[in-house]
Amino acid sequence: MGTRILTVEDDERIRTAVKLALEDEGWDVEEADSGEEALNAFTRQAADVVLIDIMLPGIDGFDVCRAIRRVSDVPIVMVTARADTHDVVAGLEAGADDYLTKPFAPKELSARIRALLRRARTSEPGAPQMIFGDLEIVPDEGVVRVGGDEVHLTKTEFRLLVELASSPGRVFSREVLLERVWGYGYFGDGRLVDVHIRRLRTKVESDAANPRHVVTVRGLGYKLQT
Amino acid sequence: MRKVWRRLGLRARITLLFALGGLLLSVTIAVATLTLARQNLLADREDRAFSVVIRNGDRVAQRLTEETDAEEVGAIFDSLTITERSHPLLRVDDVWTASNPQVFSNENVPSVLVAAVENGHAARIRTRLDDKPALITGIPIPNLDADYYEAALVDDVEGALNTLGIIVIGVATAATLLAAAIGSWASRRALTPLVEVRAAAESLAAGELDTRLDPPADADLASLTASFNGMARSLEDRIERDARFASEVSHELRSPLMTLNASAEVLNNSRDDLSERNQTALDLLTDDIGRFTDLVEDLLEISRYDVGSAALQAEPIDLVEFVRQAVAHGRYPDTSVNAETLEYLVIEGDKRRLAQVVANLLDNAAKYGEGHVGIEVRERRDTVQMIIEDQGPGVPYEERSVIFDRFSRGSAGGSRGQGTGSGLGLSLVTEHVGLHGGHVWVEDRPDGGQGARFVVSLPKTDPIE
Repeated sequence: MGTRILTVEDDERIRTAVKLALEDEGWDVEEADSGEEALNAFTRQAADVVLIDIMLPGIDGFDVCRAIRRVSDVPIVMVTARADTHDVVAGLEAGADDYLTKPFAPKELSARIRALLRRARTSEPGAPQMIFGDLEIVPDEGVVRVGGDEVHLTKTEFRLLVELASSPGRVFSREVLLERVWGYGYFGDGRLVDVHIRRLRTKVESDAANPRHVVTVRGLGYKLQT
Repeated sequence: MRKVWRRLGLRARITLLFALGGLLLSVTIAVATLTLARQNLLADREDRAFSVVIRNGDRVAQRLTEETDAEEVGAIFDSLTITERSHPLLRVDDVWTASNPQVFSNENVPSVLVAAVENGHAARIRTRLDDKPALITGIPIPNLDADYYEAALVDDVEGALNTLGIIVIGVATAATLLAAAIGSWASRRALTPLVEVRAAAESLAAGELDTRLDPPADADLASLTASFNGMARSLEDRIERDARFASEVSHELRSPLMTLNASAEVLNNSRDDLSERNQTALDLLTDDIGRFTDLVEDLLEISRYDVGSAALQAEPIDLVEFVRQAVAHGRYPDTSVNAETLEYLVIEGDKRRLAQVVANLLDNAAKYGEGHVGIEVRERRDTVQMIIEDQGPGVPYEERSVIFDRFSRGSAGGSRGQGTGSGLGLSLVTEHVGLHGGHVWVEDRPDGGQGARFVVSLPKTDPIE
């Protein structure tokens, strides 16, 4: 079975046009015109990528995102109205992996989706297990343990942690992380990194406010403390 | 007349009105005062003169007999109470004897008076003697065919009245001047609040839409303040409504644009299946959807400034690296970037907006400036500058601020820029740079070469240790 994409959008014309464009990429597209419909569809059959417009009647995009995130680590792309609002941060905090602003070109959307799918399948075989104090990363199995207990990371969070762990102690700039994890260049949105680091800390740090593993190097970026 | 009146300032008119009022009032009072005083003084003077004449008449009656000759008449005259202003005259039978005939003789006595006195009545009449006001009194002498007349000059009353007149005119003039002074002062007092209104109106005109007047202590000015503030409020509402309207319209345009974009792409995916004619049509469609999208995005971007919702998403940026990246990711990747220093020029910048600044200036140079010479990044005191030079005709001095206005392309742009650009490129540059606390301007190329030189100056932040 091919890659399934669930698009949640209340404007029927946009939904149809985007569906046609995504189908041209060879993906199966399922449509939902409301948050309720989206959750039903996702419960019936999980998708490989979910595309959610934040402005939805009824249950809004943030709630849909949180509800899906509770049961799945499926890659989620948010569609927001503008880039310079709190919507972007709110969407990322609700669990989205990436975002686009309207109007976007379908080519850009497919590029985002491909990057997310690549990330979802990333687990280079034979990568060695890494241990940093109470933090244990097993890239082969896609497993992270803190103090022996397995913690659940999304694919993006996992990928971010593995990148940082690839050169422990080295400072990674936002730009580098954006490129390696999201596939963006220099002009990617640094808030993607910041919010994902924040979410990662709540999962792997015993005290997220005073991180011991994933630390900030002011003005430069982030590094994994050895 | 009316025109002249209108041309006078409000203060001049109020002052003039006060002066006219003062003049009218003091003239009325002066005329009334002089008339009354004249009547009272004359009546008083005449009464005094009359009582003297009665006494003199009695004396003449006592001493005058049938036999009295002219010499004795002179003696009688000498015994009378006569002042230099009174002149006696005696008629005995048909003989008139005057003490001072040059001034007062029977010629001067009106016949009406003579008739009344000859009928046996004492009588008096006002007349003029020697060109002076005078009172002539006639008294019949009982038992004899004789009458005693006496003329009293009352010009001393005139003198007093003249003095009084001068004083009254002086007071009236002073009152008029005082009224004018009060008018001038009062109008200045009354116009003081207008000075505040003018300042508020100027501040409104300068774009401070939340300017309001403080409620005045004076109740009379409350309505002026209230209506001014009402006007300012509705102006502010109106402008905000217009700004919101532009923002909402471009917001609404995004949905059909999404559909157009995606549908055009679906068509483009099967472009090879189309006939050549249909391919040409599809290309036109795709191009214009792209331009339409750019225009809507520019409109949305600029309307955020109008509704005041533009927020800087700042992060530390090394400007040299930033400009290299912006050029590499832009439409003119082979533009040369020159930096005069190898040091980090770090600013707090919004990458997305600054990238648009670079892109729009490069677009502008490509469209109106025959292509750009290159971008230079340099440091000037506490600012960093991005300089983009082109080799076009340059920008005439009088258009150097106009070209940053919305939908204005300057004279060169008008002739060569037909149908390209949203017309918002340079105004977005201004807004973005302003949001960073910087400035943008255009000048001549310092090397004397032909073309324009756009300078973007941004505040530098201290490098982070």
